[in-house]
Amino acid sequence: MTQLTISGLAKRFGDVAAIDNLNLEIKEGELISLLGPSGCGKTTTLRCIAGFEQPDEGQIMFDNKDIIGLAPERRNIGMVFQSYALFPHMTVRQNLNFGLEMRSIGGAEAEERIGRAIDAVQLTGMTDRYPQQLSGGQQQRVALARALVIEPSILLLDEPLANLDAKLREEMRFFIKSLQKRVGITTVYVTHDQGEAMVISDRIVVMFNGVIAQMGDPTTIYSRPASKKVAGFIGQSNFIDGTCKGQDDASHYTIETSLGDIICLSGDERAQGERVTIVVRPEVIKLEAEKPDADRMNSLPGKVEDRFSLGNFAGYKVACADGSVFLVQEEPWTEFGVGDHIWCSFAADKTWLIQA
Amino acid sequence: MTVPARGIKQETIAALVPAWMRSNTALLLFLPTVIFLVLFLLVPYVNMLVMSFRTPSTSAVFAPGFTTDNYTKALTDLYYFGVLFKTVVFGMVTTAICLLIGYPVAYHLARTKSRFKGLLYVGILSPLLVGVVIRCYGWIILLANNGLINDTLIKAGLIETHLPLMYNNFGIGVGLVHVFLPFMILPILGSIQSIDPALEEAAQSLGASRAKTMFKVVLPLSLPGIQSGAILVFVLTISAYVIPILLGSFQEVIMPTLVIQLLIDAFLWPFGAALAFILSLTGAAVVIAFLKITNRYMMKEG
Repeated sequence: MTQLTISGLAKRFGDVAAIDNLNLEIKEGELISLLGPSGCGKTTTLRCIAGFEQPDEGQIMFDNKDIIGLAPERRNIGMVFQSYALFPHMTVRQNLNFGLEMRSIGGAEAEERIGRAIDAVQLTGMTDRYPQQLSGGQQQRVALARALVIEPSILLLDEPLANLDAKLREEMRFFIKSLQKRVGITTVYVTHDQGEAMVISDRIVVMFNGVIAQMGDPTTIYSRPASKKVAGFIGQSNFIDGTCKGQDDASHYTIETSLGDIICLSGDERAQGERVTIVVRPEVIKLEAEKPDADRMNSLPGKVEDRFSLGNFAGYKVACADGSVFLVQEEPWTEFGVGDHIWCSFAADKTWLIQA
Repeated sequence: MTVPARGIKQETIAALVPAWMRSNTALLLFLPTVIFLVLFLLVPYVNMLVMSFRTPSTSAVFAPGFTTDNYTKALTDLYYFGVLFKTVVFGMVTTAICLLIGYPVAYHLARTKSRFKGLLYVGILSPLLVGVVIRCYGWIILLANNGLINDTLIKAGLIETHLPLMYNNFGIGVGLVHVFLPFMILPILGSIQSIDPALEEAAQSLGASRAKTMFKVVLPLSLPGIQSGAILVFVLTISAYVIPILLGSFQEVIMPTLVIQLLIDAFLWPFGAALAFILSLTGAAVVIAFLKITNRYMMKEG
């Protein structure tokens, strides 16, 4: 169980800062995801941890040891690559044995470890096959087993599920998560797929342009996004701009907007007159034919512009008074038609306030 | 599909082509190449083979009648065996040196991200554009007794008399390696480029040093390229004529030189043909043995 601490990490490619003053502490046994769009620096960070890139500044500590300057083969890491990188001229067994051979682990112990790893990824009986003879999902599991069989201090995964089809990807998320929990290894997982990050992580680190935008558990990241960019990247959002009118109580504020006054929840102190943005998630909005009368509910009149079925949700596009269009996710059996006049209501506690 | 000529429908054109031609298009496309190879490769080869069984004559290309004397003489006389042996050794040594020099260059070229990558390519390929004769003369300027190298060393006081760098095996060797190096580098380069760089990183992540990664991952996977390069250089070396002529001596000959001597100077065509054919067979035997051995190594690795 190793603790991973990154402090002041910076890496530039020419004029562009791929990583800019990154600070991150990962607890023992934790699985954190580096999540962000292409070019945000997540892969560069992972490669710095692995030792395939040298940062320009900063420290990376495995427990209390700064490993910058240490060659990758001396860092005792296990890594799973997007292309799996299985050795094509070796069988599954030989692939798994490679790391053990490098550590001079042989004989009975090697046999035992390989056996356990193969069973853990449910590929018993496939040890004499070559990678080309396995399906994508099976190759992925071999890559996992190969990284874990050497019992490294840190497990690094670089978009390992990107090459799999959607259904398999969903299954493998849970598989990787349960495997990681069983083994208890500190893990850094890089992905651009937010659904994946949400399912698998203890904590998500959202990155844009080499900087951490927000760090936290999946629920917090989703329901309490720190900025418009984070809210826009994770899930769907409706944004309403406005100015702060007044504070209602410890955490609720009234915001003046072009759609009327809206009460919402805020994590930070807001000053009167401050320009702010309100985030309302589509599934939080309820559509009613009549204006609901409830405490701490925001209700806005609107007209249905479009209705579409998402299977487990009914999706609506509702045009509001000032022309802006809301995306609403309602229960699948609601049947408001295009052109209907309805009320969008959302609880103040589920309406989140962020900086403009 | 091609656009049919104006006014003529495609079906009409198709109907003009006989059925047997349509169903054998692949074969027909092969035909020009096959004819070329048969005409310019197979026919001369068979001609040479037949020639080698004829009786030699000094007044004509050959005398009437067939004989196996040429082969008996070539295979029993120690002198010819010695020349053959020397030629094959030259082939192997040149191949080995080209491999030792060429592999690192190929690897670097395959993996480097430097801006000067193009320059390196040019450096490797451009000598091929210059004729082999001119390149050998370049070496003569450097290697001769009063050439650049000897001159500099003597003037620097490092040696007293000139080193014999030319008109001997060393000179031939330098020329051979220099001229045939690109033929080793390019196939290996292609092979390494097809190896996913992530494989090397994976090996490192599992604890392999760069050296171990090279021997356990890159080398086995680039073996097809090594095989191609080695065969190419070996075959080119044992049939090299110009380089040994220009940089070697007439006292110590290798097989191609000997064959030409017999053909042109001594006018013993059947005997020359027999030697040429023996050289071919020996070369083929070495190549086949090489392939068998390296293929087994490839299998053993997994």
